[in-house]
Amino acid sequence: MVTGLGVGLATSTTVYDDDVDYWIVPETDSPESPLIATDNIQFSSVHETNDRIHGYDGVDATTPVLAQVLRIESSDTAEYILVVGVINTPELDRVVGVDSDLLTPQDPYYANGEYNGEWTGEVVLSDGAADILATSPGESVAVAGNNTFTVAAIDNQSSSTGDIPTALVQLSELQQITGAAEYDQADQFVVSTNSPSVQNKLEGVYPQSSVQTRGEMTANQVAESDLSLALALTALVVSLSIGTLFVVTTSGLEIVADQQQLAVLSAMGLSIKSQLQLVGTQTVVLTGLGGLIGTIGGLAGIRLINTIAIRTITTEPIATSHPVFIVYGIGVALVVGLLSLPVLLLTARRVSGGVP
Amino acid sequence: MAGAVTSIKDIDSSSPIVTARNVTKIYKRGSEPGLIGRILGRSEPPTVHAVDSVSLEISSGEIVGLAGSSGSGKSTLLHLLSGLEQPTAGTVSFQGTDLTTLSARERTRHRLENIGIVFQRFHLLDSLSARANVALPLVELGVPKSERRKRATELLERIGLEDRITHRPGELSGGEQQRVAIARALITDPALVIADEPTGELDTETGRTILEEFKQVAENRTIVLASHDQETLEICDRVIQLRDGAIANRRTQEIRP
Repeated sequence: MVTGLGVGLATSTTVYDDDVDYWIVPETDSPESPLIATDNIQFSSVHETNDRIHGYDGVDATTPVLAQVLRIESSDTAEYILVVGVINTPELDRVVGVDSDLLTPQDPYYANGEYNGEWTGEVVLSDGAADILATSPGESVAVAGNNTFTVAAIDNQSSSTGDIPTALVQLSELQQITGAAEYDQADQFVVSTNSPSVQNKLEGVYPQSSVQTRGEMTANQVAESDLSLALALTALVVSLSIGTLFVVTTSGLEIVADQQQLAVLSAMGLSIKSQLQLVGTQTVVLTGLGGLIGTIGGLAGIRLINTIAIRTITTEPIATSHPVFIVYGIGVALVVGLLSLPVLLLTARRVSGGVP
Repeated sequence: MAGAVTSIKDIDSSSPIVTARNVTKIYKRGSEPGLIGRILGRSEPPTVHAVDSVSLEISSGEIVGLAGSSGSGKSTLLHLLSGLEQPTAGTVSFQGTDLTTLSARERTRHRLENIGIVFQRFHLLDSLSARANVALPLVELGVPKSERRKRATELLERIGLEDRITHRPGELSGGEQQRVAIARALITDPALVIADEPTGELDTETGRTILEEFKQVAENRTIVLASHDQETLEICDRVIQLRDGAIANRRTQEIRP
């Protein structure tokens, strides 16, 4: 179960996996991920700044990113979704794992410094968001109240946000409905470039901002994955230690209780070697069966945890279950059996050979 | 390895199959004093002469009874004759081989090939069927599975348990369990069968029936049985009375046809 949680945590938060090279984010002590850190310090005049960054040599694409968790209603249901506002520019490709090319380019509602351009009202949904909202392209959804948007496309390839349901909209339109249009605000910028020299310029765009490279992002992600990996490894070590101690104790007591039986076998002429083989086989078979039962129980526990989590704190499962966990669980149990064997064989050797 | 088992047909009936010479078994009551115990002046634990200078010969085909009250040394003498325990002094020979010179492993092998043991409390393995219990010694002898099943089934049929072959001990009565134990003791065709209070856990009527069946199925094997029950000892050709670990007297009964 702990392994499932660890793997779940390790595989779900992959929101950074975009094809960009730099992230400009406000300096903050918050440990939250830059992309899902909504309601933090924001940048202002982001359209103008975005144009300026786009003019830097070596910059292929750039967009401000405004992220808000908003209630979206479809005809069938309503759900809170991570809504991300971006400016679709060529070569931007994906933002938070959703294809930004499916939006009308250049954020047309923001024209000449005013919010009075063409309102597209389009939204691109990730696969997960579309599933939750039970909607399809061409249908209307209401975002944050009565703001009607039309599902322009559903990105079936969306994956980089893991299981977080995400909706991509035009930046200015999201600013408009969330009140961020007042100072043309956004949470961060993503900048696609292959030129390391751009970083110095990006660092000077806003005071009290920091520029993170893909490497730093990856390091951050790896650190989080390491935490999950550590969780899974800890589960392995704890299960091996506790399991071995448990098997040694219970089987040891069983062997001592079976002293009479071992004495009978000895009296009948069964060699110590045969008796030890019997004890060894019994131990490994029992631990293997225990592993199978424990793994099935663990998978049931994962399902229970996910059900409780979805009903209370999340919209998606937090733990992962996979058929390979059964093999893994049985494997761990067999290792426990093998680790227990020396002590058990010594115990059996010590108590065998008596007189019934 | 099955071929290594000595068949009763191979034994010269004129020579003793088991010989005990001045056999003594002394047990200590309690543990030896350790270093600190010695410094504190703790004395050696008291000793008990469970068997005291016993000499006897048992001929092939004989049924010999060991009689005596509880604590007289019957069971200990059986253990010494079967090589289950080593004497403190004296020698025990089986067909001329001095068991006291054998290692524990060799004595275990000797029991497997030459001795069948019937316990008072049956001591069947609960997880195995009657047939598997009977066939267990053959596994150690390396007898193929089909042969094991065949021989165990035949023996169980001979002892009247043909409809209990696949039953586990928990599903059998006390008498049936002892029949299974007798079959297990005889499955390797042993030269000597040791029985320690074989009817001790059974009612009188069942005990008598079991004894008759035991004698019948054992055919002309050498049997040494310990009992304090006179009725049980009536099947014996000869009864040795033990008192305080020593032979009090020998009495020979009329050999029944």
